[in-house]
Amino acid sequence: MIELKNVKKKFGNNEVLHDVSLSVNDGEVVVLLGPSGSGKTTFLRCINFLERADAGILKFDEEEIDLKRAKKKQILDIRRNSAFVFQNYGLFNNKTALQNIMEGLVVVQKRSKEEARKIALDSLEWVGLKDKADYYPSQLSGGQQQRVGIARAVALNPKFILFDEPTSALDPELVGETLSVIKKVAKKGITMIIVTHEMSFAQEVADRVIFMDGGVVVEEGAPDEVFYKPKEERTKKFLARILQKDMYYI
Amino acid sequence: MGFNFSYFVTSFKQALLYVPVTIKIMLVTFVVSFIIGTIIGAVRFYKIPFFSKFFSIFVTIYLGLPVTVALVLYNLIFLTCYNDFANFFHINKQISDINPIFVAYIALIAGYSCNLSETVRGNLRSIDKTQFEAGYSIGLTKLQTFRNIIFPQMIPNMIPGLLNNLIGILKGTNLVSTIGITEVMVAALYPCQETYSYLEGYLAAAALYWIIGIVIENIGHFVIKFSSKNNKEVWNYD
Repeated sequence: MIELKNVKKKFGNNEVLHDVSLSVNDGEVVVLLGPSGSGKTTFLRCINFLERADAGILKFDEEEIDLKRAKKKQILDIRRNSAFVFQNYGLFNNKTALQNIMEGLVVVQKRSKEEARKIALDSLEWVGLKDKADYYPSQLSGGQQQRVGIARAVALNPKFILFDEPTSALDPELVGETLSVIKKVAKKGITMIIVTHEMSFAQEVADRVIFMDGGVVVEEGAPDEVFYKPKEERTKKFLARILQKDMYYI
Repeated sequence: MGFNFSYFVTSFKQALLYVPVTIKIMLVTFVVSFIIGTIIGAVRFYKIPFFSKFFSIFVTIYLGLPVTVALVLYNLIFLTCYNDFANFFHINKQISDINPIFVAYIALIAGYSCNLSETVRGNLRSIDKTQFEAGYSIGLTKLQTFRNIIFPQMIPNMIPGLLNNLIGILKGTNLVSTIGITEVMVAALYPCQETYSYLEGYLAAAALYWIIGIVIENIGHFVIKFSSKNNKEVWNYD
């Protein structure tokens, strides 16, 4: 179980996170929704210490970590128990798809090269890219790169995976293949926190949906509840815009 | 005053004997400066407390110091302080037994480390932020991320800058003659003392520097071509 309490973050004078709390059960898939600038991505990055929060507590594995004053060892511990999937893929440009996955297994988990290779190949096969093992990121399409990114995250066997708008940089055709891989990860029972703008995907994959705006959690609940019976005025407004996005007025 | 070709050849031949000296000074300076420059550049990029500030001030001040001034200054300090230093550490060597090349290396390396640190820092800043974050996110430490991910990616981008520095160092090597070390230029002028053929002597030295410079540039262009054409091979370091 991951528990976050009273997370606050400011960039200069701009308060991005205003007291956000969240707890995620083991195996649960939580989707963060909300307009741009609502602090979803910042919140996600704070969990993995890619962004240092100004205040807040992270409770994980019976350990309480102060987000602001976390020590190097604690940060490394969290990072080694989690994985992050980036909006712009974040594959190492100087390494092949296979080497990208092997890097963490060899350097961080201290596995032998043969063992790491086997795990990496299995992982690539699992996302349907075994034939691209020796390709460099620049030789892969966006969707393929993101699938390698997910394979890299899953291969590390993390306790939880954070997805930061995994499909935002992809064209509509490539979104599908990436989402289906994420659904496969969800079926594995790994705890996931996903930031996305794909509403139908969110509805399908999420156990719980959290709607954020202006650095606070506005509403949370089961997907059907939030999507069809939103209580808050702000949520209704946002969903009305999103669900009718095919209608344009000129 | 006419141009005497045989004097030119004599000077050229004499200078040719000292090409290994020049090349050695150049390569040692380059390699050591690159290592130190990478460390300084990385320390400043990662904003490591104290050292970052220290190097930032050091580089700012030192970049303004001409290499010749540094050379002569260090040599003077060396000459005046050596005896005290030797007595203090009970070293039984006379000052004349010590090769002034070490003074030259200190002056050259200090100067060119600053230049190279700026090249490294500039390249470090051009690497996409996500590359760092991806490394951290899978649990690599800062050092592991730098060594395995960032540095290998910097090399291809850095080649033109490194080449530029290498040629700068080549031209800088002739400054060591100010503290009495014989290299290509001084050697080319040896025969001139009898014949007063200084024009031929300097031209011979110039010709040799040109040749070495052109060779280095061509090697560099080959490497750049190779790295842009076969990106795949260059990226592959394992």
